[in-house]
Amino acid sequence: MDIVLETDQLGKRYGRAWALRDCSLRLPAGRVAALVGPNGAGKSTLLHLAVGLLRPDAGAVRVFGRTPYDDIAVLSEVGFVAQDTPLYRDFTADELFTMGARLNRRFDTALAHRRLAQIGIPRDKPVGKLSGGQRAQVALALAMAKRPRLLLLDEPVASIDPLARREFLQALMGVVAETGTTVLLSSHILADLERTCDYLIVLHASQVKLVGDVSTLLAEHRQLVGPRDGGPLPAEVAQVVRAEHTHRQSTLLARTNAPPWDPAWKAYDVTLEDLILAYLGDGDARPHAAWEVPA
Amino acid sequence: MIWLTWRQHRKQALFTAIGLALLAVFMVPTGLAMRHTFADLGLDDCVRALGTASMIPADADTCGKASIQFNSQYAVMTMIGVLFLVLPLLVGLFWGAPLVAREIEQGTHRMVWTQGVSRGRWALVKFGIAGAVALVASVIYGLGVSWWLTPMSQAGQHGRFNIFFFDMQGTAPTGYTIFAVALGILAGTIWPKVLPAMSATLVGFLGLRIALTTLARPHYLPARVLTFPIKDATEQTNPAAGDWILSYGIRDASGKMITANAQIACAPDATGPGAACGADLGITSGAYNWQLYQPGTRFWLFQGIETGIFLAIAALLLYLAVRRIRRVA
Repeated sequence: MDIVLETDQLGKRYGRAWALRDCSLRLPAGRVAALVGPNGAGKSTLLHLAVGLLRPDAGAVRVFGRTPYDDIAVLSEVGFVAQDTPLYRDFTADELFTMGARLNRRFDTALAHRRLAQIGIPRDKPVGKLSGGQRAQVALALAMAKRPRLLLLDEPVASIDPLARREFLQALMGVVAETGTTVLLSSHILADLERTCDYLIVLHASQVKLVGDVSTLLAEHRQLVGPRDGGPLPAEVAQVVRAEHTHRQSTLLARTNAPPWDPAWKAYDVTLEDLILAYLGDGDARPHAAWEVPA
Repeated sequence: MIWLTWRQHRKQALFTAIGLALLAVFMVPTGLAMRHTFADLGLDDCVRALGTASMIPADADTCGKASIQFNSQYAVMTMIGVLFLVLPLLVGLFWGAPLVAREIEQGTHRMVWTQGVSRGRWALVKFGIAGAVALVASVIYGLGVSWWLTPMSQAGQHGRFNIFFFDMQGTAPTGYTIFAVALGILAGTIWPKVLPAMSATLVGFLGLRIALTTLARPHYLPARVLTFPIKDATEQTNPAAGDWILSYGIRDASGKMITANAQIACAPDATGPGAACGADLGITSGAYNWQLYQPGTRFWLFQGIETGIFLAIAALLLYLAVRRIRRVA
């Protein structure tokens, strides 16, 4: 399995505060990965490190086996759409593509034209006069025309309306299917991710909480409902991610090897959203020391 | 990269060109008119006759009346000319400061630095083009103002070496302009917003310009001292010498300054109205006129030193800017 992006104990500090710390993860080729976390969790920092805008303060990041900081060889393999899809607003799409063709060794202008023609965005209008959704599409076309092997998108849909968001994600899925590009997409809009992503990275408070294939992760986690004072946890529970208690019963989101046999506990499947929210909860706020089950 | 820089900044380039053209529209006719008057008053010949020596025979200055007439006619031009001092600063504010600051303020640096060009090269091309435009504009401007000011300088009252007049002609404006642009660029990497970067450029530019003009420029080379007698004066200072007089006054026989900012020359056997030559001012026998000055022949040398200092500072600022750009994200 080819690893496109790999980080090892990666850390980045702004002044004394760590924006990202001890981040170790691997992104296999061909995946569409969601990078999820609340604002300030370090998502942008991780993407900026991956595209070489930032230099790590600790650990290492490798893209296609190379260190990306200020490395042109990596830049030409990576497409990047920054947060709020910044573009020169007085440029037309055509001028932006001219820029792309002049600044990149490999640039498929025809592909960019085709993409905009498909969604009906005029190429001769300054992009500052387009809608937010259209501008995001132009930014995506600009990034995809590099024919990148890795596409990094930083909150590409955060500031556009739901319809444009869906169109954008459809367009993204379209190009991914065409080109087989690996995608890492950060977002805090969870509903969108379920349809688009097959790989998940959860960041919280500068640290990686969860990494893995979405279907595997969903299969590994269960929501368990059982009595409040039900005694010991079922043996199958490897880790309690989150626990909620009412007067009579406890609801756990747990990583399990298999559904529990214990008839006192009922097991339910979890959705991607449940899973992400469970990992984004504050892990230290567990009410019972008893729930701390060694993995 | 060159295409991109041109496309991004063509409006500013156009405004710069329009500015220079407007300046030319003002300066060419007024410059020609001044030259015309200058020749009509016969100043050409008499200034040439004065030469460039610091002292001339007392009866040699035949230009006096004509030059006073010329200066009073064109006094307003010197006022207008002083306004030109701010032009290098304007270039720094509108070319230099937004160059990096606007990219970072609008986030477009993340788009352009992730194309296939390293940001080191991005910076070099952008700074190079901005610098080249500033260079061409300021050389045209500096030489143009030199031409325009020549009659005024020669007419004696505002020598080209004097503060303000030195600063707006020759190569010095080129040094100031490149410095202002470099300062604006660096300010933009430190305060990545256009307005704070412009403010910092304004403060930094004025601060260094004033400091260097008042503290450093008089000492680029050791100043010379000239003394000449008060009584029986057969010589006087030459208004056409173009010397930069740093200070002058009258000292007594022991060398103590009696009266600063005064100069007295009494011709032999002078019998003016009032007391004898300077007696009522407390001038005793043995007192003499004293002046500390930079000779006018050093004008281009000082221009070169001034320009060199500002270009060197600009180079340092640009180096720091490139270093900072490699750290921004």
